Amino acid sequence: MTNKYYEFFCPVKVIAGKAALEHIPFELTSLAAKRPMIITDKGVRAAGLLDPVIAACEESGLDIVSIYDDVPPDSSTTVVATIAKVYRKEKCDSIIAVGGGSAIDTGKAVNILVSEGGDDIAEYSGAGILKHPLKPFFVVPTTAGTGSEVTSVAVITDEKRGVKLPYSSPFLLPNAAIIDPRMTLTLPPHITAATAMDALTHATEAFTCMGKNPLSDAYATAAVKKVSQSLLKVMDTPKDEEGRLDLAQASTMAGIAFSNSMVGLVHALGHATGAIVHLPHGLCMSLYLPYVLEFNLESIREPLGELLLHLEGPEVYSATPAARRAEASISSIRKLRDELYKRCKLPRTLKETEKVTEDQLEAIATMALDDGSIMFNPKEVSLDDAMTILRRAWA
Amino acid sequence: MLSKRMQPLTSQARRSYVELMFQVMGRALQAISEVDEVARDEIKRLPDGFLFEMQVMPAGPKLIVEHTGDGRLRFLGDEAPRPIDLSIQFKHIAHAFLVLSFQEKTSVAFANDRMLVDGDVSLAIRMTRVLNRLEAFILPKLVAERAVKEYPDHINFPNKLISAARIYLRVATNLVETARA
Repeated sequence: MTNKYYEFFCPVKVIAGKAALEHIPFELTSLAAKRPMIITDKGVRAAGLLDPVIAACEESGLDIVSIYDDVPPDSSTTVVATIAKVYRKEKCDSIIAVGGGSAIDTGKAVNILVSEGGDDIAEYSGAGILKHPLKPFFVVPTTAGTGSEVTSVAVITDEKRGVKLPYSSPFLLPNAAIIDPRMTLTLPPHITAATAMDALTHATEAFTCMGKNPLSDAYATAAVKKVSQSLLKVMDTPKDEEGRLDLAQASTMAGIAFSNSMVGLVHALGHATGAIVHLPHGLCMSLYLPYVLEFNLESIREPLGELLLHLEGPEVYSATPAARRAEASISSIRKLRDELYKRCKLPRTLKETEKVTEDQLEAIATMALDDGSIMFNPKEVSLDDAMTILRRAWA
Repeated sequence: MLSKRMQPLTSQARRSYVELMFQVMGRALQAISEVDEVARDEIKRLPDGFLFEMQVMPAGPKLIVEHTGDGRLRFLGDEAPRPIDLSIQFKHIAHAFLVLSFQEKTSVAFANDRMLVDGDVSLAIRMTRVLNRLEAFILPKLVAERAVKEYPDHINFPNKLISAARIYLRVATNLVETARA
């Protein structure tokens, strides 16, 4: 009898493509929601990305009752409590989060407070605390990378205690994720590159780490294919709506994949680097991906070789001997990083970031060893291993 | 028909096995913290008085150990003197049996969602490293390879033999003392 076992769960309705935003009013009213609140940040509002969302609702006679546009890059318990107060005061009945990871996580946390009651979001921290469905919650991502629109987790900083509080529950998942190419059309080149590399890393780790399963594999390979085919096209033609939609869908598919299979050492190192030197998450993923794949190589040779088909297409895949495909996949990712460096100077090494010093590497390695993602890395990692990878990624 | 009659027996045997393994593992965790410097270094980073539990949901067998300070653990049986700080919970006795009978590696069980972590995940990773080191010492290499993600290549045979003997001796002594008490 096989010992294989897996779980897969994604109840989020994905609404994607041309005029997707215009489906929001129908989706809200089908959940009996009439008084939505928008949660976003100043950057999204200044870029004019709220306008089509508001217009889409107003054209259908649905007023946005309240807009909170002051979500900081690292959302906090105080911000969540403040937004929950506004939500209650304005008698809202649903939430639309418009933005990147922080706005989406904030939306998830606010939804806990306004559904479960109370003012202290810290009380709901942890896994499996929530036992009931929450208020109608919609997510409109404005970056194509985090995949937060399809993950059941959120992280909120507790400013008083100086710790990051994790929240995990299937009830945090939004009712719908609205993927509209208009929302990522104006994303600057370096953010487009870093967030797409984030999605590529989610998909690659989902496909090569210990929690991989047939369903997450399907999403992961589709995501890798879309990023490989569209990223450079979008970098060259930023207004390419089709390419933008491909990247946004890739991000969502990679999100579905990794939230059902988890990630590995690239994320462990990335989380530690983010905490210690405050580099953006997508950039960290891009920095470490090839070096970690090289470290894991002998444990992941087969799936990594298979990824070549999705990274380079059938011609290159069939022309590459089976025994060389895993190395060719790593070369393909390196080549992509070189192209991104040419186009927007996205750093390929820690040194190129000019924000990390060599004496910080040990602290990063030590912290990475205690990161939850390391559990799912296919190969055991020691402090020496982590240091070797970081030195390779240094320059 | 026969398999239906056998089911309660199988279930009871599985439960007894898990209970026994928790008894041995709890004492062995205490023992490795007394004899192994590397394990002690890992444990030292836990707060003093930290309570760690492994449990089968919803109210099945459990083991509880306490960090008494300086990297030392003390096995407390299945009763905690105060709220637990970190709990690793098997969703079902069958899942605990798979792991404790070395049919499924601990890391694979995590990846397969057989277990939940209630508490700080980074400390759970640390405790898992201690458990892996313990298994690498006390189990024959062939069995240990089935229990841990990667058998550590720095543990040579004499080192393993001496450490395993010291751990088993302490486990046996502790068991006798408990029986006498």
